[in-house]
Amino acid sequence: MQAVDSRPVQAPAPLKTADRSGARRKRDTRTAWLLSLPTLIILIGMLGYPLYRMIVLSFQNMRLRELFSGATPPWAGVDQYAKALTDDVFWGIVARTAAFTVVSVTLSVTAGLGIALLMRRVHAKVRIFMMVAMMFVWALPQLVAAQAFRWLTDSDFGVLNYLFSKVFGDEWLNHSWFVNPWEGWAVITTLVVWAGIPFLAISLSAGLTQVPKELVEAATVDGASSWQTLRNITLPILKPLLTIVTTLSVIWNFGLFTQNWALRDSHPEPVYQTLATYSYTQAFGRSLYSYGSAISVITVLLMLGVMVFYIRQMFKIGEVD
Amino acid sequence: MSNVTTMDAPVKVSAPQEKTRRELKAFNGLAHLALIFWAVVTAGPLLWVVLASFKSNTEIFLGEPFALPSTFSLETYLSAWDQAHIGRYFLNSVFVVLVSTAGTMLFGSMAAYVLARYSFVGNRIVYYLFVSGLAFPTFMALGPLFHILKNMGLLNTYHGLIMVYIAYSLPFTIFFLAAFFKTLPHEIDEAATVDGASHTRKFFQIMMPMAKSGLVSITIFNIVGQWNQYLLPLVIMQGQGADQKWVLTQGIANISTQAGYHAEWSTLFAALTLSIIPMIVVYAIFQRQIQAGLTAGAVK
Repeated sequence: MQAVDSRPVQAPAPLKTADRSGARRKRDTRTAWLLSLPTLIILIGMLGYPLYRMIVLSFQNMRLRELFSGATPPWAGVDQYAKALTDDVFWGIVARTAAFTVVSVTLSVTAGLGIALLMRRVHAKVRIFMMVAMMFVWALPQLVAAQAFRWLTDSDFGVLNYLFSKVFGDEWLNHSWFVNPWEGWAVITTLVVWAGIPFLAISLSAGLTQVPKELVEAATVDGASSWQTLRNITLPILKPLLTIVTTLSVIWNFGLFTQNWALRDSHPEPVYQTLATYSYTQAFGRSLYSYGSAISVITVLLMLGVMVFYIRQMFKIGEVD
Repeated sequence: MSNVTTMDAPVKVSAPQEKTRRELKAFNGLAHLALIFWAVVTAGPLLWVVLASFKSNTEIFLGEPFALPSTFSLETYLSAWDQAHIGRYFLNSVFVVLVSTAGTMLFGSMAAYVLARYSFVGNRIVYYLFVSGLAFPTFMALGPLFHILKNMGLLNTYHGLIMVYIAYSLPFTIFFLAAFFKTLPHEIDEAATVDGASHTRKFFQIMMPMAKSGLVSITIFNIVGQWNQYLLPLVIMQGQGADQKWVLTQGIANISTQAGYHAEWSTLFAALTLSIIPMIVVYAIFQRQIQAGLTAGAVK
């Protein structure tokens, strides 16, 4: 990326005296803060403060009574954390969420990249057709997509069973996809990957247009195979973008909520809980607000712990310096 | 791009061109097939939804999922629009998304602009503060958010929902736009400064038009993201009379939970189709800019 980014370093304007540019700098600082102020206020109010409250809440014990009376909930120290961390159910959910994230992100990034690469090689008409199809899916609300999948996999009237029974025989009629958790998770993963590919493929194929044609041609002339060209030219150029979209996908998929929530009819069974739905069920379903908060805090710490390197990379790529 | 030049491609005399070309042709054929197959898989579920939205309840349960409906009547749509109140929710959604996307773009572009183009005291801290919001999954702050809005009397109000939408869209908007603004040439904006243009004028008359494609693509991204929101309105739009103020996704969820008792599946499919239409319109209008913007913005 360096080459693209290297605009000429501005020479300091020679005519300006030192104190004038100093005054200008001060004025710039004021304008800059003024223009960022609305954003700052909204983000602190709607993201920062809730975050702070949630951390505080996780050290308390808030129940329905305190919610209605408005009284300060009793302090509970690290009780909520101890409760979560010693609970096997919680760790099972952590493992499940992590496994789902790894599988779904790997599948969708690989497929997205593959489709982006293929799209460079096909006829323009096919490419436009693809783009349109993907735009549709990208624009589809998660909930709508989840509802559609719920119906596709419906045991009595679903298209999936219809097709399977035609191909593999009648034992697939009335097959229930969510009895066996492996099958159920396969459906959920398919849904998430299916819905996630368009964003990945579209942004990666946009990124691919930045790969200089001359470089690829030069490599081909020099006898590099397609694989070598991909590995040594295309991927290095695409790397910053790949880092960004992969990191974002991990963050999004780790917070999986809508899909399993909707596919299981707003009442996910224990095997279909993820950290997000679990935290929500504990807080709002069972009115264990503090426990729900503690789970959220642990979730984010876990994710940041694993992702810190990538998130830093991502920020660096977009960093203003 | 230094890493490219260090590539040690084996220097071989290229194979007979004929063979390469034939291989390429075969590969292209396969590529076409794979992509067409994938397009069908991608669009399949959507087509099925649209098809089912024209069917009556009985037809849906006939067990012939790909059969055409006996008549293409708009009856299911009318019933979804009126009886299931999808019309109301649809307009609610349009209103909320319009206002909050406008707000996001205004605040986001201002902040991204100064962060990208001015070096000022605290620049880096503010940038990190803003984009760190990217790393937090939405569900995380739900509980406290509920309490804060409740205490401020913003629960179950549009301005509360809009503020939350704006807050949750800003980190990505700023992340994307700051990178985009950075790529714009500095010369024009310096010339404007020398000519005595004010900051406001520079921003609205010079930077905004130059950044048009980037602005358009992130606007679309925000419209889609906010139109799709389900979790946030689920938490915020509850309480007395909330069902009048629901957004479309809540309305759809409501039909599907009711469907078990009232058997209004065709209405559900009509509602699902209705929810996709505005996004198609948005894409149809801005398709060109989206492409251009993604190209320029995605890779600096």
